[in-house]
Amino acid sequence: MDFANLASQLNAGTILPEGIVILTLLGVLIVDLILGRTSSRWIGYLAIAGLLAAIVALYFQWDATNPIAFSGGFNSDDLSIVFRGIIALSAVVTILMSIRYVEQSGTALAEFIAILLTATLGGMFLSGASELVMIFISLETLSISSYLLTGYTKRDPRSNEAALKYLLIGASSTAVFLYGVSLLYGLSGGQTELSAIADGIAKAHIGQSLGIVISLVFVIAGIGFKISAAPFHQWTPDVYEGAPTPVIAFLSVGSKAAGFALAIRLLTTVFPLVVDEWKFVFTALAVLSMVLGNVVALAQTSMKRMLAYSSIAQAGFVMIGMIAGTEAGYASMIFYLLVYLFMNLCGFTCIILFSLRTGTDQIAEYSGLYQKDPLLTLGLSISLLSLGGIPPLAGFFGKIYLFWAGWQAGLYWLVLLGLVTSVVSIYYYIRVVKMMVVKEPQEMSEVVKNYPPVQWNLPGFRPLQVGLIVTLIATTISGILSNPLFTLANNSVSHTAILQGTTAVSTQANAVNIEQPEKL
Amino acid sequence: MLSVLIWLPILAAAIIAVIPKNLPTNTVRLSALYFAAIVLLWNIFILFKFDISNPGMQFQENIPWNETLGLSYQLGVDGLSILMLVLNSLLTWIAIYSSSKDTQRPRLFYSLILLVSGGVAGAFLAENLLLFFLFYELELIPFYLLISIWGGEKRGYAGIKFLIYTAVSGALILATFLGTVWLTGSTSFAFDAVSTQTLSAGLQIILLAGIVLGFGIKIPLVPFHTWLPDAYVEASAPIAILLGGVLAKLGTYGLLRFGMGMFPQAWSIFAPTLAIWGAVSAIYGAVVAIAQKDIKRMVAYSSIGHMGYILLAGAASNALALVGAVAQMFSHGLILAILFHLVGVVETKVGTRELDKLNGLMSPIRGLPLISALLVLSGMASAGIPGLTGFVAEFIVFQGSFSAFPIPTILCVVASGLTAVYFVILLNRTCFGRLDNLAYYPKVQWFEKTPALILAVLIIFLGVQPTWLVRWSEPTTTAMVAAIPAMEKTVNSEIALKP
Repeated sequence: MDFANLASQLNAGTILPEGIVILTLLGVLIVDLILGRTSSRWIGYLAIAGLLAAIVALYFQWDATNPIAFSGGFNSDDLSIVFRGIIALSAVVTILMSIRYVEQSGTALAEFIAILLTATLGGMFLSGASELVMIFISLETLSISSYLLTGYTKRDPRSNEAALKYLLIGASSTAVFLYGVSLLYGLSGGQTELSAIADGIAKAHIGQSLGIVISLVFVIAGIGFKISAAPFHQWTPDVYEGAPTPVIAFLSVGSKAAGFALAIRLLTTVFPLVVDEWKFVFTALAVLSMVLGNVVALAQTSMKRMLAYSSIAQAGFVMIGMIAGTEAGYASMIFYLLVYLFMNLCGFTCIILFSLRTGTDQIAEYSGLYQKDPLLTLGLSISLLSLGGIPPLAGFFGKIYLFWAGWQAGLYWLVLLGLVTSVVSIYYYIRVVKMMVVKEPQEMSEVVKNYPPVQWNLPGFRPLQVGLIVTLIATTISGILSNPLFTLANNSVSHTAILQGTTAVSTQANAVNIEQPEKL
Repeated sequence: MLSVLIWLPILAAAIIAVIPKNLPTNTVRLSALYFAAIVLLWNIFILFKFDISNPGMQFQENIPWNETLGLSYQLGVDGLSILMLVLNSLLTWIAIYSSSKDTQRPRLFYSLILLVSGGVAGAFLAENLLLFFLFYELELIPFYLLISIWGGEKRGYAGIKFLIYTAVSGALILATFLGTVWLTGSTSFAFDAVSTQTLSAGLQIILLAGIVLGFGIKIPLVPFHTWLPDAYVEASAPIAILLGGVLAKLGTYGLLRFGMGMFPQAWSIFAPTLAIWGAVSAIYGAVVAIAQKDIKRMVAYSSIGHMGYILLAGAASNALALVGAVAQMFSHGLILAILFHLVGVVETKVGTRELDKLNGLMSPIRGLPLISALLVLSGMASAGIPGLTGFVAEFIVFQGSFSAFPIPTILCVVASGLTAVYFVILLNRTCFGRLDNLAYYPKVQWFEKTPALILAVLIIFLGVQPTWLVRWSEPTTTAMVAAIPAMEKTVNSEIALKP
């Protein structure tokens, strides 16, 4: 094999964004080794610059003519670009949050950022991975870094416990996933590349055999863990409560987006024969997640735990788009994940700010906050209301698109359930707003009475403020000015080859669905 | 032109939210008042430019917004909505005027009121289902905050109850809208793009049921009304004016515009049920109001009763009854506003709303004679005494619906009689009788009386010169009625005679 041929097979230019992240990661580590703690003043900004450069590189990859790289191991199509962008962006905001948080906890910032960048790298590779080994390796890179991040504040027993829980559950669900994946390798006659597996299974004429169904279920168990869909959600509330808050912010957006990217790529490419089965399983997961996430969130007293259940519920909403399986369905998922990034990270920034200033994150302690810190109150209120789907915020448009896509695909009951559980969700989101805004000055909690004067010029607070304001503005206006985001989401789906075959089938199914109601 | 009605209040809300903190409350109030006055004047200007003979949408604006969702920024006004717009800006002005000069947290208070006002205007103007829904849901949070920050003792409970009922109503409406548009095969949510003619009768009935339930919570119809007494009673007087005067109209407007306008066939099938429902609502509201010991609660239940008439008129769906429905919506808005305002004044001056404790307010020196006189006037207007706008509206409603649904109409006339009963009880216990020797009430300032006087003048004027109440909506309602199948109506009236 001559060199030119090999280079075209490798097509290594497609992973330029990841390459930039790797360089940044190494840079952060080396600078830390050479300069020690003194570097922590600017090392965060170095990492942010690297991530932003990676996002710019992603922009230039858009609509690449030859997206397949590494002999089919990596696919840099538009779908993967959108997800890699979401993951990189969530890492940017997470670093903005963590500069002060990690410093205050007395641990090293550079190590934290290095592990976070590794997790980002794993997530970004996972979004484009189209080969079983590659998928597994990037999934593990993401997971192992996440365990380390969860237990990063190692003097805090809750953080330790969360890391142990996350590790045990995570490792076993990866093992289950691995078992499912190895079944696929066997069933397809020794293929590891995703489209080759689909061909192999089709050629073997095993159709919807038990083997395929078992491997499907095992794979879904692994995916369900990453996107924290009920009943694979049990780690979420405990990990969210124990882990450092910036880590949660990353897990709830970056890691979840990576899980959805994996889900779309794996399920649509490998399991076209059992499409009804995985849609059925996901319907069950969506129903459970929406009901359980929203109902249990009602009874939480800790802010982080409430957001944990809320993120389970939000995963349920996103799954509606996945089950619809149409072009609009996938586009609505991507759009929702984009706006979810803004609103969740805005919310978590406010929680970090509050806990940095007061040292607690109980919901009851927020009461009367509007008097002491109006910007924080505004940010948290807007982000929570947006999560609840109140117009004209970003979350409203995200939910409308999801429901509209679901309805177009004939998922009437699922959409109705989504609407009902949205009403439930408004109740617990508004409870926090009520604590902050509605309470009288004399009902102020002890913590808020002793609230320190708001100062932004302390070290590490400026990036927090920037992160808060940027995500706040994005949450407020990305609904009203949603056209660019809609175009982005729609194009990323319509330009992606792997989704074209599946959506064609589903549109036919829809055509049947349109006629059915006439018989009523 | 119409956009000004939406965006000027919202812009004003934004300005008021960021003005300096150390300004005195009254300055904030006055600036909100100026903004509301400009909106009101602009609205009156539009009212005079409105071409009465044109049954269709006027002053249309259309800007494409989000094509993926089928959402466009489409506005227009017709005979059904023009009066509601005027009512909205008038009552916003009055609500701000009648708010206390030392309201706590004035910047938030007035900016929320203006935000609500812009949102309501948007809902009345929207010509796109999703745009309507967007503005409809926009009321949710501001009203929740307005009730639960500046309310009475049980404001937290009332606020949450209002929030959940309204959110459920929104969910039902959204589900129906999505369903209607998808099933008719349209890609856009614009009104004129949606035609339900192709749907089977069964489907139309299911969708219409969604609309009736969704808006029925907001109106409210009888089994779904339980949020109303709590919300109205716990809200402060200006907020109660907005809630009862404007927000309830959003429900009836939605029912007429979407229920009748989009599903004419199913509407004619549903009509007998709706007529009976309206009558039951009217009787229930009146009977429960008789039993109340709190004047604000009495007025709240009277509102339930009066909204029943609108449902009856909508069900009858002939040109006369629909004109009556619009007239009733407008005059109920005026009457409820003056009642809530007066009750608010009585409460601040006397310190109680209990019927058992109030007495002799008519007393010329030590009592509140002008307020009592106005209370008598507005009670009479609400009960349907000729010469006042309530009578005109109710009479048109009854006249129009009698031919279609005689028995429900008679029941509504009975309810109207019962209205007189509880208002007489109310007036007898508050205005008449002897004043306690211990009573020393603060004087009522001029600015406190002004809103009531303006409303009273309007009520009397429209009562003796009702053309000004009905002329706006005649062509539009005639056109709407023409869309409803005529034959089925006669069949239905026979069915309605049986129970």
